[in-house]
Amino acid sequence: MFTEADNIEIILPFKAEYVSVVRLTVSGIASRMGFDIDSIEDIKVAVSEVCNKLVALGSNVAPGYKIIFSISDKSLDIHFYCEDKSIKCIFGDGNDELGVSLISALMDDVSLCSENDYIIYMSKAIEENI
Amino acid sequence: MSSELNIREDYSDNEVMVYLSGEVDIYNSQELKEKLYKIIDDNRKDLKIDCTELNYIDSTGLGIFVGALKKVKQYDKKIYICRLKENIKKLFVITGLDKLFIIEE
Repeated sequence: MFTEADNIEIILPFKAEYVSVVRLTVSGIASRMGFDIDSIEDIKVAVSEVCNKLVALGSNVAPGYKIIFSISDKSLDIHFYCEDKSIKCIFGDGNDELGVSLISALMDDVSLCSENDYIIYMSKAIEENI
Repeated sequence: MSSELNIREDYSDNEVMVYLSGEVDIYNSQELKEKLYKIIDDNRKDLKIDCTELNYIDSTGLGIFVGALKKVKQYDKKIYICRLKENIKKLFVITGLDKLFIIEE
């Protein structure tokens, strides 16, 4: 049982071969939190879709991007960050309908075009899973 | 480090059976694309993709299936997606691709 948010951060280069590492990481976190297998699969897919887009965009400024997983007893909140401030509203070009539809359908709360310091926020509630 | 994808084909008179196992993601999707497109162009037959051992696919993989479908239609052939796991079938339903492909149990 988690009483307050614990944060786990991971910094990744813009390389396709490391997206599977994110999937393994988030699977472990979600499993530890008590999400069921279906929800873990949902989170894996949604997180990977964002990573795919970031890898495809890349950056000449930043060496990589950061994901912060915030773990509470109510939800798993996930924020994506990048030092390259030109990377904003990454799905705004309308070229990723499949990815956007998956992220929106699989997560409970999503902000794909943030005005804050993070690029993307997504959350999956755990209440119904325990 | 990389996600594993194995692709195996089985040829018969009327169709090509393609067995996918492992994971399709952004890292290996190009390999899948090249393989499927070559099979389609070389054989010009219906394509059956057996997904019994496919554990994960992302939107890049789904996009390759869509591209392959466009390609087989040029030859007036079909793609059958067979034995999807529930977690992957869910992605086909969410994206509406279950209406585009012939999904078989």
